[in-house]
Amino acid sequence: MILLAYPLIAVAAIIGFILIPSRRILHLLAAVESAAILVVTGILILTVPLPATGIGPGSGFFFADLFGVFLVAVSGVVFFFASLYAGGYTERLMETGELKPSRLRLFYIGLALLQLFVTLAFFADNLGLFWILVELTTVFSALLVAILAARENIDAALKYIFTVSTATLFSFAGVIFIFETARSTLGEGTLTWTVLMQHASSFPPTLLFAAFVFLFIGFAAKSGIFPFHTWLPDAHAKAPSAVSAILSGALLNVGIYGIIRAFALVHQTAFAEKISLILIVSGLLSVGVAAFAMLYQTNLKKLIAFSSIENMGLLPLGIGVGSPLALFWVVIHMLAHSLTKASLFLSAGVLHRQYRSPDPGADDQIVDVFDLQPSAAWGVIVGTLAIAGTPPFPIFYTKFFLLTQVATVSPWLLAATLLLLMIAVAGMARFLIHEFSARSDASAQKPRRYVVPLGMRLPFVLLIAIITVQGLWFPVQEVSVFSQIVAGLGFGGV
Amino acid sequence: MTDVSFIDVIVRFIFVAVVITAVFLISARSLPFLLQTYRLQSLLLAVLAGVFSFVDGSTILLWVAALTVVSKVLVIPYFIEEIQERISIRRDLEFRYLAPASSILVSIVLFIGVYLSLGNILSSTYAQARPMFFFGAVIGISLMLMGMLVIFSRRDAITKVLGYLSMENGVLLFGICVTELPFIMDVTIMIDLIILVILTTILTVGIDSTIEAYEEKIRQYSLWTVREDAL
Repeated sequence: MILLAYPLIAVAAIIGFILIPSRRILHLLAAVESAAILVVTGILILTVPLPATGIGPGSGFFFADLFGVFLVAVSGVVFFFASLYAGGYTERLMETGELKPSRLRLFYIGLALLQLFVTLAFFADNLGLFWILVELTTVFSALLVAILAARENIDAALKYIFTVSTATLFSFAGVIFIFETARSTLGEGTLTWTVLMQHASSFPPTLLFAAFVFLFIGFAAKSGIFPFHTWLPDAHAKAPSAVSAILSGALLNVGIYGIIRAFALVHQTAFAEKISLILIVSGLLSVGVAAFAMLYQTNLKKLIAFSSIENMGLLPLGIGVGSPLALFWVVIHMLAHSLTKASLFLSAGVLHRQYRSPDPGADDQIVDVFDLQPSAAWGVIVGTLAIAGTPPFPIFYTKFFLLTQVATVSPWLLAATLLLLMIAVAGMARFLIHEFSARSDASAQKPRRYVVPLGMRLPFVLLIAIITVQGLWFPVQEVSVFSQIVAGLGFGGV
Repeated sequence: MTDVSFIDVIVRFIFVAVVITAVFLISARSLPFLLQTYRLQSLLLAVLAGVFSFVDGSTILLWVAALTVVSKVLVIPYFIEEIQERISIRRDLEFRYLAPASSILVSIVLFIGVYLSLGNILSSTYAQARPMFFFGAVIGISLMLMGMLVIFSRRDAITKVLGYLSMENGVLLFGICVTELPFIMDVTIMIDLIILVILTTILTVGIDSTIEAYEEKIRQYSLWTVREDAL
């Protein structure tokens, strides 16, 4: 019943958010809440032997396996740093009049509920339950995008809700297909992952194929995969940066998690190859669309958002390859991308605070960046190097080994992917060289320096430290965890 | 036997009526009319669930019918009606990408496409054995796609919401015809629908006005509690 600790913490925090009058304590409470969730996850890892059922209410609704718990921990870390950062960030938003002080409580309540639903989604053993949790994460994250109430934000939030929820309804049809597939074989319908995994090889492959296609539409939209990615750049760029970090670092993983789980079912049937083709094509197109959009991007947060589409695109490519090694690097790429992207959005958020244009539709005019915001500038540079796949950062290894796996499918696929990745890197390099070397006009008045509170600087510095250590040090125990995750999903030993 | 053929006639009639409502949702311009059409579509589905429950003796379908009437014939349309009156938008004239006539043509193509592909997927289990249910499943998926057309071809967010709701009706129809989902799933999707409608309509109030007017509207209609004094 350890799972009940998560909603209890969320409810306690929400009561605090409603009752506590002091803004300072509200900020602190948000950070403490996400820290408490990390602690509970730590206790769960240390005390519950995985995989485990019966960790939550009802039977067949919740379970904990290594894959789910791993993603709970990753999103827990992202939420913790984002909550720590949110205090200073929202204060600044209120200073500039972008966030009404009355909305601060709503912001933190939304954040707490979002974290709860993301966490529970990774523990869901029932596909129907997972579906509703995915949908709730969309609704509450859209609320956080719209919280600034600027027209651009509302536009972005509505586009986000309509695109993702529409696609998610298709995955509900997929859920119906799965239920019927199970019913036609087992005599009784079920939506429980663990039961479905045991019997997937005996299911009628055509029905399971149809189910996967429908499920994929919803989960692909959730993770910003082509052609359902259209909502992502706007929502990620317009959201407050703490929320952008969560959208990119925690929420995209929810969709990929769904795709991997669904693929683990269909992988056991004769239609695995057809599904692989769908995954590889949509992955490659995602990388392509993102790479070309990044080439002439003039908005830093949009550039980072497109880089998320690029990185998410790599994942279905790897999943489509379907070998245990490919899956091994897919899972590590999810970790590396989450932490790196969160650090990038958090440091980019500081620059956005410094250079925000009074017109919410216009791009930031970055000048004298090393004089005004040296730490954030270096944060963005190091983060960009990391996301581009430079050694010693972990994405270097994940991209390198994913590409070697892609090469086993076709050398042309490798060439195309490599070329697109290089275009994306060129886009990032062009942006940084161009924008970060810009100096202010000597005659014009210099912009005033925005003093960044420690609570905003620490999160991205620590995240960079974590990914650097992860890149340099990959202990045997960690390798064993990732191998077990892949084996647990039925893809065989690494 | 007369009973069965009579029920067949009713079910056929409902299917045709559902398709007609979907066509109206794609092409009509008056918002109150669109809302009434949605209401009628939901009512038709509730009747269908009732009829199926009568045939199968399934109490779950009866519950589905009751839930549909309460939520989709009464509560959700009432809420949207209130919002429409408050923001005083009566007509949604703007179409993007597709004008109504071409939308209807696209729908026909979608219909045939769904019929053929679903025939391939479900043939062994359904198409021959239970033609009526198979046809319902085809209409369900087509209704989803037509709802999606509404979402993408209309500019006004409230009309988009109606498109989404109509898509969900498609899912419901598909669900009723293909399998017997646990009732909890129907409740789940209804909760999702209600939250989504509330959030999107609140945001819609904002999109048709300036920020100041938006704040004012929110306060005036107490759509969410504003507690500026508390901070």
